[in-house]
Amino acid sequence: METQSEEQAAAEAADSRGEGEPLQVAGAQAARPEDRMALLLRVRAQTKQQLLEYKSMVDANEEKTPEQIMQEKQIEVKIEELEKEIEEAKIAFEMKKLALDSVLMDNMKQILSLNKSVMKSQQETRDLEDKLLDVRKKRLQLKQASERKLLEIQTEKNKQKDDLGSMENSGKIKTIQQNLEMEIQITTVIQHVFQNLILGSKANWAEDSALKETVLQLEKNLTMIQ
Amino acid sequence: MSVLRPLDKLPGLNTATILLVGTEDVLLQQLAEAMLKEDCTSELKVHLAKSLPLPSNVNRPRIDLIVFVVNLHSKHSLRNVEESLHHVDAAFFLGKVSFLATGAGRESHCSIHRNTVMKLAHTYRSPLLFCDLEIEDFRATMAQRLVRMLQICAGHVPSVSALNLLSLLQNSENPSLEDL
Repeated sequence: METQSEEQAAAEAADSRGEGEPLQVAGAQAARPEDRMALLLRVRAQTKQQLLEYKSMVDANEEKTPEQIMQEKQIEVKIEELEKEIEEAKIAFEMKKLALDSVLMDNMKQILSLNKSVMKSQQETRDLEDKLLDVRKKRLQLKQASERKLLEIQTEKNKQKDDLGSMENSGKIKTIQQNLEMEIQITTVIQHVFQNLILGSKANWAEDSALKETVLQLEKNLTMIQ
Repeated sequence: MSVLRPLDKLPGLNTATILLVGTEDVLLQQLAEAMLKEDCTSELKVHLAKSLPLPSNVNRPRIDLIVFVVNLHSKHSLRNVEESLHHVDAAFFLGKVSFLATGAGRESHCSIHRNTVMKLAHTYRSPLLFCDLEIEDFRATMAQRLVRMLQICAGHVPSVSALNLLSLLQNSENPSLEDL
């Protein structure tokens, strides 16, 4: 019996479907840290589970096994009783899990609705900010337009001033001014002539109102008109 | 070591080892290959043996699941399995042992009655699986099942232990046995 056993596959496929091989393919470099993380997390979960199993075995071994030799029937009955206990414990556990899950569900639903409202208000904020931005842009445009207009007005004024200045220096005005002066001189001479005529006649001009007016009018100094 | 104990060695990182015990070399080899083709996140190691006890000079990792393969066509395989069962520690039967009966498809060739195997499995409180290992599709399905069971027995699936799995699997079997 003991010699018969041949262990055929002692060198059997350690066919690693694990993460080792695909990672070593050159070019899968970007996926490596994530795969390693996944592997580590998985190994961690495994180790936890295995530790739990070892612990439970240790606890089980501390239980005293019944030493007396019981009949097979009694052993069967005992085994079935223990199995029933296990089933009941499992059912109670499942019920507790269900109860907890329903509470969790409520929390999740609340969280979801809160998230929705947060997103909505964020959307509204964004819209208002956009509107504000539009208004500011318009204000800027208006400012620029008014700047331009004022600039135009200024240039127009300067042009007018220049035109006036240039006009004054033109020759036409000079000749007109000269003519005006000559006319005034002639008129002054005529005034003096008339004055002297009336005075030379030795008539009493103060008495006649018409003559008085004429003399006074002749006194008017025409050079003031310039 | 003449008796296999389940927890006398520390587990390897991300490794799960299964031991297939049976007299049908070809079938075991094919099943092993089918299992290794399965997509699994842990490293799988498959050991084959004709019968227990295993030679103690070989350095082997901790065995997570033992599957005893019984061919319903030959009484010899049943006897072989029964004798090998003596070399397995009682602690293994808490979910880390499973029986696999093959050859049930060809009723005329069966020399062992189904109930014999079912009684055997019931005595040892272990799950009994039926599968025709000669047919490739069934073999592939069974390989998938065994890989999942192996993962759980090796502790790679959080929150499910071998014992848990055992009680889950037993519920469907026991009612039928009460009728026997």
